[in-house]
Amino acid sequence: MSQIQPLDSVNVPAPTVEVARLRGPERERAGRRRLRVPGWLRLLLGNPKSRGGIIVLSAIIILAVIAPWIAHANPNDFSLIDSRQSPSFHHLFGTTDQGSDIFSQVMWGARSSLIIGAAAALLATVLATTLGILAAYSGGVVDDVINLITSVFLVIPTIPLLIVVSSYMHSRSGVTMVLILGLTLWGFEARILRGQALALRNRDFILSAKVAGEGTWRIIFSEFVPNMISRIAAAFVLVFYIAILTDAGLEFLGLGDMSHASWGVTMYWAQVNSSFLQGEWWPFLFPGLALALTVAALVFILAGVDEVSNPRLRKDRKRGVIRSLFVGGRGARAALDAKDPA
Amino acid sequence: MTGLLEDGVGPSPAVRQETLIELRELVVDYVLSGRRVRAVDHVNLDVGKGEIVGLAGESGCGKSTIANAVMQLLRAPAQVTSGQVLFHGEDLTKLSTEQLRKFRWRNVSMVFQSAMNSLNPLMRVGDQFVDMMKAHERISKNDALARAADLMETVGMDRSHVRSYPHELSGGMRQRTIVAMALTLEPELLIMDEPTTALDVVVQREILQQVQDLQRELGFAVLFITHDLSLLVEFSDRIAIMYAGEIVESAPSDELFRRPLHPYTVGLMNSFPPLSGPLERIVGIAGAPPDLAKPPSGCRFHPRCVHCDPSSHALYARQTTERPVLREVEPGHFVACHLLDTP
Amino acid sequence: MRWFIRRLGFYVFAIWVAITLNFLLPRLMPGDPLGGLMQRLTPSQIQGNPGIINTFKIMLGGTQEPMWKAYPIYLRNIFTGNLGISTSNYPSHVSEVIGRTLPYSIFLVGVGFILAFILGIGVGMVAAWRRGGIVDNFVMPSLLALAAFPAFFTSLVLVYFVGLKLGWFPLQHAYDTDVSPGFNWAFLSSAFRHAELPIIVIVIVFAGGWALNMRTIMINTIEEDYVGMAKAKGLHDRRVMTRYAARNAILPPLNGFAAQFASAVGGLVFIEFVFSYPGAGWTLQQAALGADYPLTQGLLLVFAVCVIVANFIMDLLNFVLDPRVRTS
Repeated sequence: MSQIQPLDSVNVPAPTVEVARLRGPERERAGRRRLRVPGWLRLLLGNPKSRGGIIVLSAIIILAVIAPWIAHANPNDFSLIDSRQSPSFHHLFGTTDQGSDIFSQVMWGARSSLIIGAAAALLATVLATTLGILAAYSGGVVDDVINLITSVFLVIPTIPLLIVVSSYMHSRSGVTMVLILGLTLWGFEARILRGQALALRNRDFILSAKVAGEGTWRIIFSEFVPNMISRIAAAFVLVFYIAILTDAGLEFLGLGDMSHASWGVTMYWAQVNSSFLQGEWWPFLFPGLALALTVAALVFILAGVDEVSNPRLRKDRKRGVIRSLFVGGRGARAALDAKDPA
Repeated sequence: MTGLLEDGVGPSPAVRQETLIELRELVVDYVLSGRRVRAVDHVNLDVGKGEIVGLAGESGCGKSTIANAVMQLLRAPAQVTSGQVLFHGEDLTKLSTEQLRKFRWRNVSMVFQSAMNSLNPLMRVGDQFVDMMKAHERISKNDALARAADLMETVGMDRSHVRSYPHELSGGMRQRTIVAMALTLEPELLIMDEPTTALDVVVQREILQQVQDLQRELGFAVLFITHDLSLLVEFSDRIAIMYAGEIVESAPSDELFRRPLHPYTVGLMNSFPPLSGPLERIVGIAGAPPDLAKPPSGCRFHPRCVHCDPSSHALYARQTTERPVLREVEPGHFVACHLLDTP
Repeated sequence: MRWFIRRLGFYVFAIWVAITLNFLLPRLMPGDPLGGLMQRLTPSQIQGNPGIINTFKIMLGGTQEPMWKAYPIYLRNIFTGNLGISTSNYPSHVSEVIGRTLPYSIFLVGVGFILAFILGIGVGMVAAWRRGGIVDNFVMPSLLALAAFPAFFTSLVLVYFVGLKLGWFPLQHAYDTDVSPGFNWAFLSSAFRHAELPIIVIVIVFAGGWALNMRTIMINTIEEDYVGMAKAKGLHDRRVMTRYAARNAILPPLNGFAAQFASAVGGLVFIEFVFSYPGAGWTLQQAALGADYPLTQGLLLVFAVCVIVANFIMDLLNFVLDPRVRTS
């Protein structure tokens, strides 16, 4: 007659994702001939929030890819006769004060935003994962040092820092933007991933790997990472949309890579030329909506990932979509007490 | 009906005229996305004035749900599907929010499972007494604090602790505080839900002794919920055994101790060793408690019952298809078991 | 007490890192730092600002010297308040420029953030307490949807529709052009009027996040035993919600407040830019575009210090509000 203690399940990754991945291919082979959909994708598509997000994001990606074919006008066209035109059949989104077609700018801009965002997110996630897990696993001085660095990074405000760094750069290109974004945005995820790694640190499989003599880096990448993959993926999505926002933001201020078509750049010119103060809403509304839509899609995906890995946050369908979107929230994960119904 | 075994002193049979709490065919379900898990299945339970009733069973059998049902504190997704909870004959489910608010603590109060968490960590202990007193009667803060200090003394704590924060007190002290808080308004019924599980044996003993003394002095009834049958045998007048949401046996405590009838009760009794006597092999109860979402058909205990044998066909058929009904097999001794039904 | 000193120590360390970062950044750019900076200037700028080379020298602490010699000079400059001379506002000192513009930002962020906090926490608290009610089903999601949009987009939309089209609010700057700064009513009321829309934007952008955070934590807090006990004691519903649930639930968001401050500073820059509001954020952006390095560095330092101070205040608040921290 022992008291059954509730499991300590803070930040423990959902094994369902891993199991699904294993079962997926086998299930396909067993039955009919179908497209091999990886288990995690199937899970995410099953959840309405992430499904919506994935659909919207895919649409945006497709538009970005086919940009050359649908946007015939060169985004950097200079044509005074066409300038400052409101949306029409010929120029779907109108034109800028320089006569460039805004539709093309938005389509081509999608490429730049997505690519820079993804690359920066990749860099930041790699940094966060490596440093976070290293800190958790090594403990002691290494942990303290990494924590200190992370804390300092978190306390120095990112936007002003990026503004200053960007102002020093002689030339701003996509690559440099990716670098500075990646190197500044890794902090908060490093903290979260460290927390999760801490929970895993004393698990048997880690301890046995350690005893077997596996090197630190080996353990980090082949033991920790596979079991934290859902959290790492979520971290990536989070940094992705923050990177997109920050990149667009910097361009909006005139401090990003201003030479190519992008959403932020279009909006910068709209602001600086005071065109919108003269009633021209199209230069800022369309890129802005595109930006907001992309970010919203990513946030929805994130919410879906949250729900899939944390069943407590799932709500019954009666609630509205937007409302149930932010049910959980990543920051507020308290320990789950599986209170027995008795 | 004898009460406490220790000194043979207890409430006389005459006291049990007035029934305080009556649970009539109470059904409580947990509704989760369309599925129903029945935590309390047509339970009938009475607690008389001044009576100490023990409710025993494994974790997950529905005991705490019953406690919450009496206080009308069930939280979603739990809901009372049918049945009644009567207090002095009045149906509690029909009370308005304000009536319920007044009813709580004044008539029935509760000692929760983990006292550590029952106290607001940000408020001083004394203020939490004051809170409660002011919600039920007109009293000045100073008077309330003085009374709180008195109550703390009654449970064996120093008056000065009224100014302490919960985290500054030890586990045992917190539990005593909770007991004091529960008795402040002199309720007729005190529900104790696993009050001592988180404490070590010595403190356990002290606290229960304290409650016993107070009960004798103030005469309130007690519904004592626990998984530890040994405590109940000592402490209560009557014991009800719960299994998988149903009451399977109920009898005066010494009767239950001497002659447990239901196989589950027998198993429980055999699960803890006697302090004296020959060393015997302890036999537990095979199997595990059932999943309440899909309980076994017929008698819920049959998969684990040693007397359930496919070879005795007729009996086996009954055991696996028919739900046993609680019947009074001896005065005051109720059992729900097919084995005792066959004449 | 010990914990206090540790926090303080950390903050001092962080400030030191910010200062050193400022020192290192121009030097990390390939080539001679002064030469690199000079490259960014146009000839007209150099001619228009005769003392500009000198300014840079001060800023860099003497360019010809190796780093380890220049560093102490630089540090001394910082601690005597000499942040250099602003090249775009020549010959004003950087500290002067910051002194002129910072108050406007503080006013904006101070009022806006506090309003957003109160609104967000209030909405989150009620939404969690009465799940499925009006607040939970309508007010919350609306706040969230609004907060989902990037700060500068929201500002632009608002400026356009509410400011331009409807003419309800002034669109730019901190005060009317015919008014001069001073402690007189004309100036103050004008300043206030101009701050209204930016403050509204701040509230919109941040309240949603607070509300969500508070709601989630409240939901978890409500499950706690002491809340159930409070209800069992027969306390009034409202008292349980505020004194027992909310009072405890507010602690994590309060800590989050400090963390959010860094991003608030970022959002501030955008908002000021859209409104051409002459606060520290707008000044930073203009300075960055104009390659006014002394000013950008000075502002970065000031921003970092502000965030650190805000964090420290939050730590103090935590200490006061949570007795558990006090005794540990």
